[in-house]
Amino acid sequence: MKAGIRSSSLARIFLVAGFSVALSAMPANAQKAGGNITVGLELDIPGFDPLKVGVYDTAALTASSALFDTLTTLDASGKPQPKLALSWSHSEDFKTWTFKLRPGVKFHDGTPFNAEAFKANFDRQKDPANKCRCAFYISNVNNIQAPDELTVVFNLNDPSVNWPSLNSYANQNAAVHSPTAWKAKGDEYNRNPVGTGPYILKSWTAGDRMILEKNPDYWDKDKVYFDRITLKPLPDAQSRFASLQSGEVDLVWDDETSADNIQKAQKDPKLTVHTYAGSGAAVYALNTKTPPFDDVRVRQALVMALDRKKMSQAITNGLSRPASNPYGDGSWVKCKDDGALPEDLEKAKALIKDYGKPVEFKMLVTATPRGRTVGQVLQQLWKRAGANMEIEQVDQATIPPRAFMRQFQLTPWRIVDTADPDIQMYANFKTGSPVALANYSNPELDKLLEHARNTPDTAQRIDDYCAISRLINKEAIWFWTFQNTYYAISTAKVKGLPKMYSGVIDVSRAWKE
Amino acid sequence: MAFFVARRLLYLLPVLIAVSLLTFSIASLLPGDLAYTILGDQATPENVAALRAEMGLDQPIWWRYISWLGNVLQGDFGRSFRTGQTVLQAVAERLPVSIELMLLAQLGALAIGVPLAIVCAARSGSAFDRFMTGSAFGMLSVPTFLSAILLIYLFAVELRWLPATGYVPFGEDPLANLRFFVLPSLTLALAEWPGIMRVLRSDMIATLQEDYIALAKAKGLKPARILFVHALKPSSLTLVTITGINIGRLIGGAVIVETIFALPGLGRLLIGAILTRDLIILQGVVLLVGAGFVLMNFVVDLLYAVLDPRIRHGHA
Repeated sequence: MKAGIRSSSLARIFLVAGFSVALSAMPANAQKAGGNITVGLELDIPGFDPLKVGVYDTAALTASSALFDTLTTLDASGKPQPKLALSWSHSEDFKTWTFKLRPGVKFHDGTPFNAEAFKANFDRQKDPANKCRCAFYISNVNNIQAPDELTVVFNLNDPSVNWPSLNSYANQNAAVHSPTAWKAKGDEYNRNPVGTGPYILKSWTAGDRMILEKNPDYWDKDKVYFDRITLKPLPDAQSRFASLQSGEVDLVWDDETSADNIQKAQKDPKLTVHTYAGSGAAVYALNTKTPPFDDVRVRQALVMALDRKKMSQAITNGLSRPASNPYGDGSWVKCKDDGALPEDLEKAKALIKDYGKPVEFKMLVTATPRGRTVGQVLQQLWKRAGANMEIEQVDQATIPPRAFMRQFQLTPWRIVDTADPDIQMYANFKTGSPVALANYSNPELDKLLEHARNTPDTAQRIDDYCAISRLINKEAIWFWTFQNTYYAISTAKVKGLPKMYSGVIDVSRAWKE
Repeated sequence: MAFFVARRLLYLLPVLIAVSLLTFSIASLLPGDLAYTILGDQATPENVAALRAEMGLDQPIWWRYISWLGNVLQGDFGRSFRTGQTVLQAVAERLPVSIELMLLAQLGALAIGVPLAIVCAARSGSAFDRFMTGSAFGMLSVPTFLSAILLIYLFAVELRWLPATGYVPFGEDPLANLRFFVLPSLTLALAEWPGIMRVLRSDMIATLQEDYIALAKAKGLKPARILFVHALKPSSLTLVTITGINIGRLIGGAVIVETIFALPGLGRLLIGAILTRDLIILQGVVLLVGAGFVLMNFVVDLLYAVLDPRIRHGHA
């Protein structure tokens, strides 16, 4: 009895000591374990098998970041940190990357995670017989080797300086699935995903709720707080916001198309608007092989006739942030001079007059209310400069094939938020690339793109990318209207939401006050 | 009666064939190539050609229709290339939600419309009658997306009596399930009751002028008994038609209501299939809904015969 008292008082001392250490180590926001979060997403998630769905959309990405792990993760400053990989190294030419894997990790079905399992994921996506749409995004990877249990080697076709950063979120390629599970479940695997992530799929009612429960064996379980995550597709923007206001959901996805809700939430003390000013932009490509865009004066005139502030007012109530280069505020590429052409209507008029022939062309516009509004605003802006644009409304799905076959004069496009500009810039502007939509070729531009891709030094790469921006802006083969901004709105209680890199809302490490 | 049913069934056949033909051509004539959709942005012409051959897209359209119809008749509606689900699986998951919504909406509309119609008919020309006919006219012109949002703001955001969005299966928790259905079915009912009310009211006014009603009054029957027993049944023929047609309209209206209230029904499946170009699901669902609508009208025809013997014998 006496011994019992003594040991318990001893325990109390230890507890107190431990507690004070914990207190001093705690950040301003105390993470609280337990509780549930309900998230309202925009779309029904079609599934998780990359062979079936091809590309994960924003809704799928919120679920996949809880179900799956990736090799790395990006910290708040955008630097890659260990996740399934503990460390990495590269060859001199940046074409071989070696990752050392975390030992002792298991998939939710008990299958051990190792180099073989990782390689099996990649091989399955890459296999031409599987015809995976996802294969496009790993076309730079020639093959993956698994020399031992915990080593993975990527052999790349082209150098990639920031390769670890590009494997940092659970998209269709980077999420690591259990090979046993997809082999056992076949067609059913798509809706019964098995990963190594902090949450396990508990139940999923088609078109309704997906319930994820905390993985008790997670390798990093101390940093996972919610017991349960419920994901609901709430397709209508108004009722999604109303569900947040009435407390049925704790967090909702949103975007600039419902600018009024975002602005309402910004004024509401009970709500928090999470914003991430990403890299990339909404962009437009001019086909320089078709008149009148074969003449640089016409191209420059169209860009100078833009009034991005007015456009932003008209389209998103002023929320959209104007873009003057393809990189954006979220990128580490910051330019003193990006060579943006001035927004100058008089100069635009003069250029078109100088050109001497009537300027008439067609622009592809997605047949959505938003697409039409943008098209009409551009039409009016260009009309003032003396250019006649005809709107050609097409379905969203017909834009990529039309663009790849160059059956357009002017088409909308997008540069998405990524950790490194190389992949998209190289694809969009290198002579002969299928996505070099402007049909434009310039040896100087090619040289800069090659150099930026093969140079490890960030300062030098920034110089290259700024020179690229100046060249493209001067030649006006593409132009940029607005930067990518990603939104989530939550009740003020939700804390710890990480930066929404690539627009991904990852609630797997958030908590409620 | 058997002859009547057989004849009606025979009429059904060309209608169903027309429905299948329309469904198939709508899905086939949509812009955008299915092979491109499946293969995605990076599709090479060779891959596209290979997949088109594999899926039979390189065959002439009439041949594709015949083979599709052949499969459908054997119960094979195809499989979504996105989710891997068969059309029948997907529909089976969603159908209970849509049917529950439709039934509750119809019940709600009848519960509002029928009593009002009877009261208005009984006192036709009174201030109440004029007011109700006026409001019915007003309600007819309120679109469902507007009334849905207004109801959400009132009952979910301000009063917090009912949830704004969501769904629980009936088998899991019947009461919670009904709570989720109140606002969506009320939204649909608000759009449906005016039609019911106006039709029944005018039919009843006509019936109430018949001689046998005057006789019933002369016999000293209670007004309520006259209204509900003697006048309602003969006046409800048009009501049955309207109700039948409404079921079709409700499937259409449900697309919007299911989207706003996030109910996982057929409408949402349809919208999702359109947005993701899931043509297999799209054409399967449209065909099933179309066939369901045709069958519903067939049932309505049979109900006529039950209500009015003259139709049964082919004199009407």
